[in-house]
Amino acid sequence: MYKEDTIAAIATPPGEGGVAIVRASGPDSERIAKEIFRRSGGRNGALRSHTLHYGTVQNPESDETLDQALVVLMRKPRSYTGEDVFEVHCHGGPLVARAILELILVRGARHAEPGEFTKRAFLNGRLDLAQAEGVLDLIRARTRKGMSLALDQAQGGLSKWVGELREELLDILVQVEASIDFPEEEIELLQRNQLAGKIGALKEKVSELIASYEWGRLFRDGARVCIAGRPNVGKSSLLNALLGEERVIVTPVPGTTRDVVEETINLGGLPVALSDMAGIRETEDPVEKIGVEFSLKRVEAADATLVVLDGSAPHTAEDRSVLEAVRQKRTLVAINKSDLPQAIDSGWVAATAGDKPLVSVSAKQGLGLDKLKQQLRNLLLNLPSEPPIMVTNLRHKVALEKGERALTAAMEAIRDGLAPELIGVELQEAKDGLEEIIGAVTNDNIIERIFESFCIGK
Amino acid sequence: MDKRYDVIVVGAGHAGIEAAMASARMGCQTLMLTLNLDHIGQMSCNPAIGGIGKGHLVKEIDALGGEMARAIDETGIQFRILNTKKGPAVRASRAQADKALYRQRMKRVLENCENLTLRQASVERLLVENGRVEGVETQIGERFYGQRTILTTGTFLKGLIHVGDKNYSAGRAGDFAAQGLSDSLRELGFKIGRLKTGTCPRLDGRTIDFSKTQPQKGDDPPQPFSFSTERIIQKQVPCYITYTNSRTHEVIRSSLHRSPMYSGTIKSRGPRYCPSIEDKIVRFADKGRHQIFLEPEGADTVEIYPNGLSTSLPLDVQIEMVRSIEGLERAEIMRPGYAIEYDYAEPTQLYPSLETKLVKRLYHAGQINGTTGYEEAAAQGIMAGINAVLSIRGEEPLIFSRDQAYIGVLIDDLVTKGTDGEPYRMFTSRAEYRLLLREDNADLRLTEIGHRVGLATLEAYVRTQNKKTRVGELVELLERSVVSPTEAANARLEALDSAPLRGATSLAQLLRRPEVSAPDLAGFSSTLEATPAAIALQAEVEIKYHGYIQRQLEGVQRSKNLEALRLPEDIDYAVVSGLSREAREKLSRIRPRSLGQASRIAGLTPVAISLLSIYLKKRKLA
Repeated sequence: MYKEDTIAAIATPPGEGGVAIVRASGPDSERIAKEIFRRSGGRNGALRSHTLHYGTVQNPESDETLDQALVVLMRKPRSYTGEDVFEVHCHGGPLVARAILELILVRGARHAEPGEFTKRAFLNGRLDLAQAEGVLDLIRARTRKGMSLALDQAQGGLSKWVGELREELLDILVQVEASIDFPEEEIELLQRNQLAGKIGALKEKVSELIASYEWGRLFRDGARVCIAGRPNVGKSSLLNALLGEERVIVTPVPGTTRDVVEETINLGGLPVALSDMAGIRETEDPVEKIGVEFSLKRVEAADATLVVLDGSAPHTAEDRSVLEAVRQKRTLVAINKSDLPQAIDSGWVAATAGDKPLVSVSAKQGLGLDKLKQQLRNLLLNLPSEPPIMVTNLRHKVALEKGERALTAAMEAIRDGLAPELIGVELQEAKDGLEEIIGAVTNDNIIERIFESFCIGK
Repeated sequence: MDKRYDVIVVGAGHAGIEAAMASARMGCQTLMLTLNLDHIGQMSCNPAIGGIGKGHLVKEIDALGGEMARAIDETGIQFRILNTKKGPAVRASRAQADKALYRQRMKRVLENCENLTLRQASVERLLVENGRVEGVETQIGERFYGQRTILTTGTFLKGLIHVGDKNYSAGRAGDFAAQGLSDSLRELGFKIGRLKTGTCPRLDGRTIDFSKTQPQKGDDPPQPFSFSTERIIQKQVPCYITYTNSRTHEVIRSSLHRSPMYSGTIKSRGPRYCPSIEDKIVRFADKGRHQIFLEPEGADTVEIYPNGLSTSLPLDVQIEMVRSIEGLERAEIMRPGYAIEYDYAEPTQLYPSLETKLVKRLYHAGQINGTTGYEEAAAQGIMAGINAVLSIRGEEPLIFSRDQAYIGVLIDDLVTKGTDGEPYRMFTSRAEYRLLLREDNADLRLTEIGHRVGLATLEAYVRTQNKKTRVGELVELLERSVVSPTEAANARLEALDSAPLRGATSLAQLLRRPEVSAPDLAGFSSTLEATPAAIALQAEVEIKYHGYIQRQLEGVQRSKNLEALRLPEDIDYAVVSGLSREAREKLSRIRPRSLGQASRIAGLTPVAISLLSIYLKKRKLA
């Protein structure tokens, strides 16, 4: 599954900092550490494990000193990866860490792939799969909400929920299996329609869990929202107002914003990347034309659009074409410049925006921004209420979809009057789907449960 | 005076019979030792063969060239196919036996079997040298030497019978127990446990008022077990159904303290699927009544087996309990019911060949491995017999995979998971590839293999090959034959409650309708009308369940990867990095043959399996 070699990488983020850490893991760790590290006071001999040692990092070929550093060796299995690991804690300049990493690579290590240390920790049994997935999500979390979702998963929140669904499924399977293996017993089994009802109810729950993936994905990866509108309605000002600071150059000349500017805001725990677009309008300027086309593509790819209109001016043909362009998209319409006398035809707005929500704001004065944020959040999280548990991982979603398909097939099998052992095949497959998330279990559980539930014994 | 044999079989119950016959028929000089030559093939409990999962085993034994199916076909007095309303995979045969005839028939066949010697003797000790069994020594010091020894001791090892607060040593009511043999095994290092089972009182049929019960008739015509039996010719009899009632339950409840199960005298656990009546009443207190099947023990005896009344209550309570039941008000007990405790050897101490890991050339089969049921015992017996002979020949053992036979499921479960303190019984839900392991195709699955090892006859082999060919031809014919939507055709379908045809439809297409079976289509095809039922059924299953069978085959294929990864015999689990202490301990004890088997060990996580697979890869590279 993985090559038994030694990997190394800079463990701290790029850029300047107080300390940078270069980490290596694998069978050659101790040898390389000894070759490149000279302890102060000229002490030799083996490095004590799990202890910080002070000294210098040197190239053994040229005797060139690269840095003063602290080195720690962690012999297996008590290390993050479960292998021999050593870390060099050096001064926090990007060049220093880079030079030390290169030295380690020259001495026989391979540059680690992203996530490879955690992968090794999993393969060596230091973490289980769900934990490893949780750790990776935790690292990538961009808001507190995303963090708490990842932590919940790492601590088994999802497993517990899926475990309960699996219990329900086992109860149904027990009915089917008992009817097959004990036909002579006087045990009261569910009728076919009751069975179908139970399976249907379970399928609903699985479907809800699958639907929560959309939520979970947004919280984990963040949502993308395009700000669209004809030039000079105040898109950049609104973006800046939402960000709380001036970051985009604002000028009264139409068409100033050509490059896409993307900034992330935190909408009550939901990371939202807002991109300000080149204005969408008919134009002859070739450069701007490219920008407009690019904008339309971005609108397509976004989770939602924020259309900005100028409330202080009558609507134009361009406003109409902007709203036309986003007709199929989830859209919030912001009527900007509420601090100025209003000149836009509200009847036209209502008719053109259709059922898209509207909000009045003044980017300049900071009016209505909270309401806009709230509306935008509701728009993105298009569910009546927050699901009690969220699936954030694609692997889990795929497994749940397998379960959902199998449950649907089981209901069809019942409807078509197929034999119980065939219904059993579908239910087993649904069980496999759920168990892919939480770990393998055998058929013995079903037999166990038959004896618990029914009086068997002719 | 010492005698030398190829194979020694200790025990002449259902496991011993199949083991000895397989060995002798495969050409080995075989010795069968039994405590009592008059009780060969005795049915200690229920006078019946088969049932769901068990009928499947009997058909597989027959397909391999075993004896059980033919014996019940010759001596059965009521045959029924169970689960006829369900699909073919879970349909199963069951038959009441004439107990005495079954026994006599088995003894006659054994006596006439070439290469087989029968001896009455009580084996006390195994003769083991250099970790290899060389033979056995009897109670009176007689020694028998054999290249291979198979123990099929049933409930006889330190058997102890309980009736109320009385108990006595016996292998079953009326037979001595074997006292020394389990100590001999213990001294050799085997882990020996204790299990419990029980049986019903037997009633005098002349004192039963059958008019107060519901008769349950067998199938007409009765369907045989063996692929070689043409038809059942002996007279068939009905069974009868009655029920316990609140008074029965009251009698039992007020005497529970006198039951050895509840007074604490018996500590070992009994099978939950075959509980005593007192167990049923305690565990399912809100159930108002329990079914009792009154089964004749034979055509020539008045003894009745009241199936469902297994008990170890004192005799006076047994009498009161029986007489509280409708139809049994004046019933006389001819033999009391009892519970029996016995020694067994934990089956995780066996290789899948059924040879023990501790002592070479020694095989265990049947209840000694913690199973229950004549069929489970016989299935292990035939495999132990075959493998003992293959081992003498220096050939690889015959080990069935879980997608190949119920026998494979049975033995894999035993050697991988053990018994978990409860006697092991077969159910179809234990087989993950249930749709592939049907009674109807046992011959297609196994006869060729049985013939190759020298057990199934040439006649059986040819019959099976013919069946295979004819089924193939019939499937093709059904796919090819097209029915037009004529009035006559639609009238036929309407009679079957099936939708009328809109356009030309193949017979195979019609057969895929759940409500249509092969015999229903006889009117559409003269070839089909003239086809024997077994062939038609086989073709029907292949067509009707094609999609599902295909899916199970894909599942088999996926798991084959794990099954193909062999774990070397000499693997040291202590050096596999990352394994938990529990996983190490289990793997070292069970020593699975493949990664697939390892994955079925209870409590072994998927992570442990991936660690093992990594270790295997590293080892290969090294």
